[in-house]
Amino acid sequence: MRAFRVVVIGGGATGIGILRDLSMRGVTAVLLEQGGLAYGTSSRFHGLLHSGARYAVSDVEAARECIEENAVLRRIGRHCVEKSEGLFVLTAEDDEAYVRPWLEACAEAGITTEAVAPDEARRLEPALSPEIRQVFRVPDGGIDGFRLVWHNAMSARRHGGQVRTCHKVTGIESANGRVTAVEVCDTLKKETYRLACEYVVNAAGPWSGEIARMAGQTVDITPDRGTLLAFNHRFTSHIVNRLHESADGDIFVPHGSITILGTTSARAKNPADTTPAPEEVLRLLSLGEPLFPAVREYRILRAFAGNRPLYTPPDHDAGRSASRNFVIVDHEKDGLAGFVSIFGGKLTTYRLMAEKMTDLVCGRLGVATPCRTAEVPLAEQPSEEMLARAARRLPAHRTQLVAERLGDQFADIVGGLEKSGGSDLLCECELVTRAEVELAAGDEATHFLHDIRFRTRLGMGTCQGSYCSLRAMGALTEIGAPFAADAQAALRLFLQERWRGLRPVMWGAQVQEIELGRAIYGSTLNLNGGDDETD
Amino acid sequence: MTDIAQPDRCIVCTTCTVMCPVAKNCLDFLGPRMIGPAHQRFRLLGMGEDESLHYCSNCKNCDISCPCDVPVSTFIMRARAEASREKPPKFRDWILAHGELLACWLRFIPAVFKNFGMGFAPVRLLLHALGIARQAPLPAFAAQTFRRKFKSLSQPQNLPRQVVLFPGCFVDIYEPESGLDIVAVLNRAGYEAITPEGFVCCGLPLVANGFWQNARQNARRNLEELARWTDRGLPVLTACPSCALMFGKDYAEYFPDLLPRNLSPVLVDVCEFLTGCMERGELSAPDVAPGAATTGDDHILYHAPCHLRALGAGLPGLELLRLIPGLRAEYADSGCCGISGSYGFKKDKYAIGMRVGSALFSAMRQSDAKLCASECGTCRVQMRHGGGKQTLHPVSILRRWLDGK
Repeated sequence: MRAFRVVVIGGGATGIGILRDLSMRGVTAVLLEQGGLAYGTSSRFHGLLHSGARYAVSDVEAARECIEENAVLRRIGRHCVEKSEGLFVLTAEDDEAYVRPWLEACAEAGITTEAVAPDEARRLEPALSPEIRQVFRVPDGGIDGFRLVWHNAMSARRHGGQVRTCHKVTGIESANGRVTAVEVCDTLKKETYRLACEYVVNAAGPWSGEIARMAGQTVDITPDRGTLLAFNHRFTSHIVNRLHESADGDIFVPHGSITILGTTSARAKNPADTTPAPEEVLRLLSLGEPLFPAVREYRILRAFAGNRPLYTPPDHDAGRSASRNFVIVDHEKDGLAGFVSIFGGKLTTYRLMAEKMTDLVCGRLGVATPCRTAEVPLAEQPSEEMLARAARRLPAHRTQLVAERLGDQFADIVGGLEKSGGSDLLCECELVTRAEVELAAGDEATHFLHDIRFRTRLGMGTCQGSYCSLRAMGALTEIGAPFAADAQAALRLFLQERWRGLRPVMWGAQVQEIELGRAIYGSTLNLNGGDDETD
Repeated sequence: MTDIAQPDRCIVCTTCTVMCPVAKNCLDFLGPRMIGPAHQRFRLLGMGEDESLHYCSNCKNCDISCPCDVPVSTFIMRARAEASREKPPKFRDWILAHGELLACWLRFIPAVFKNFGMGFAPVRLLLHALGIARQAPLPAFAAQTFRRKFKSLSQPQNLPRQVVLFPGCFVDIYEPESGLDIVAVLNRAGYEAITPEGFVCCGLPLVANGFWQNARQNARRNLEELARWTDRGLPVLTACPSCALMFGKDYAEYFPDLLPRNLSPVLVDVCEFLTGCMERGELSAPDVAPGAATTGDDHILYHAPCHLRALGAGLPGLELLRLIPGLRAEYADSGCCGISGSYGFKKDKYAIGMRVGSALFSAMRQSDAKLCASECGTCRVQMRHGGGKQTLHPVSILRRWLDGK
């Protein structure tokens, strides 16, 4: 007896996009994720919704995909997309000869470019270097990876899809050259069980090599590490790219209350190798200076790293020159029917990747329902009436913020606020209310404070969790959230993760912030549990 | 307002919110950290203001307490200015912000009628309806402004030195006798006082009530006038710590483009100046026997205005009082008096102001001192109102002592 026809492995944008697409086409499917939703690469990037201009010269096909999907996501993912524009800037250090071929390639890919006088660009973005020479406007945007994944998950669930987080795949069973089941361990309950299925989709990103090995297959992927910096405030309201051949440290993306500078590119030791190093931070800062000369004066909130699952066939190099295109491998040709892998690509094209993969799986399963993910919004726009009701419970300026964060759960929170209150702020840096934290805590895919952070941005602002994590644990203990049972352990886990990103940037105001946090938890609250003052 | 200050220096220690007298006494106020640097990150995102922005009294205890030198109150005042562009301030706020202009318009109405009107119950009810609290201790108009009295004043001939005096609106409109006390003491120290017509209101009440552009115009005029006198090497004194703060600190944070490169726009505190006179021997400490003053008491309770503390230049008024032989000056050290310029006069803020000042009021009542002192005019009004004791400018007390009255 099969509960699901398809098992999708990997809770990033690609996997969750596939789950949504399958569910919308009426195919029963379950998604298995070893950690939490968007724990991997989908939350570890610069948050850029590519126009494709970055790839226009090197890969016009990838650029075309980007601009098409860019338009689709602006339509279906309004809650997740920030409609900032992009500027491509030729700095004093960039080669002018690159401009013409770039403009031609953009035109060929269908990306609109518009020249902006450098003075006008400096009026728009006063922090830009006075030495910039040429500027072009492109339809880049910002996208919230955490929110995108969660809103996809909620949409998939509405269509019958199931999401199981903290579920680590331990084996893939087959008989007569065909996949029959997946063996999976619920790491919280420490229970292993079998899930019989017809098809297994391997969308595990940088871990897809390991998943393939479980099925006795190989895929040509190399985890490629990119390090990024998050700054404490928006010093630009446009996305700013260097106008040159794609390189490290040449994109600034304003994102909600912060700005992100990325990225680097280097072979990762393993898929979980995401701890940034101070040298990488210093290098990124010097690379960012030609665009924003004062970049060293801005306070860095944290550094973080993610691993791109790059497609690297045996005769190709990894790194910058590797293709940003996505690849679907049907392992039937290698002797295992019912097992497919997808990797490469970019977050911007996650939906297209999911569509192509779902087309393939549906074709094999004999399902002829067409794809509708490009038309149906991830979440409904909140009604005027609902916004007005929310405005009676929340400060007016915050209702839109909450509506965008929560998507289809906005109505639930408004109802909750009317019934039992909870408009008090737990996270003051990112304006997160108690009601939002409690709502996120009640989700079946929430097992840690991190999951609440991804849904709400709790702990992602200036204090990096120093104040809100304690308050959140208090609120969660009161409502009896299961994972808050051992509050001390939950708190320590959360803070350690926050401090992982703080350690490589210990200077300036941030080191004062860290010392304050250390004093609060290490000394005042004695989180490490010393018995007396000499411990 | 292109050069939006960035919030990076704030380490979220929340000391400012703990030290904020309004946040302590008004639960609806989110506090300086939230309305200041925290919300600044969202202002850059284009998000609207929090409704509780209007509760800030601009007393600047946030700036005083910040360990990281974050311009907290500047964030808030700039935000109020932006909010006022979209939603103009109330008529009530216009009245309270434009005291100087109002006084000018009303100058031909004799003070006795003006004050009768201000004390007349139906007028107070009308003002109450406009949003000025019925119970608030609105100061009475003086029969003649300080500037007019000064014109007809004959200073002693052949004084060897000159100083410029910026009286401040409060002394000019409501309490000219304090100004005359200052001139008398300056004369005694050998200084002729000059009160130029070119100076206007420093602009602080305009900023606090959301009239940013008017404040900017005033700043421009004042800076030009200031440069004219400092170029001649003359110190410009003021009796009002708020005016001194506006010139010395706020102009640079609010209107950096107006500041000439070489000018540090400093108004010298008159108490500090007179302390210097005593140290230089220009003014000899009075040797009047204790108990000879009209107050009949040699004990003074001194209150330091918040804006004086925000200047970070010590407590010169207290020091001056302590230089007077036979006088015992006690520091009240009880925080904010709650008036904050025009804040405590407002109907929706009066009760908050009175709660804020309650520590000072009880210190006044418990003290043996019959006379209190403070440099700030509206602090004195609030102290008389809440603490029920006569309160004077420290220089007025010095003059009484010098005159042996």
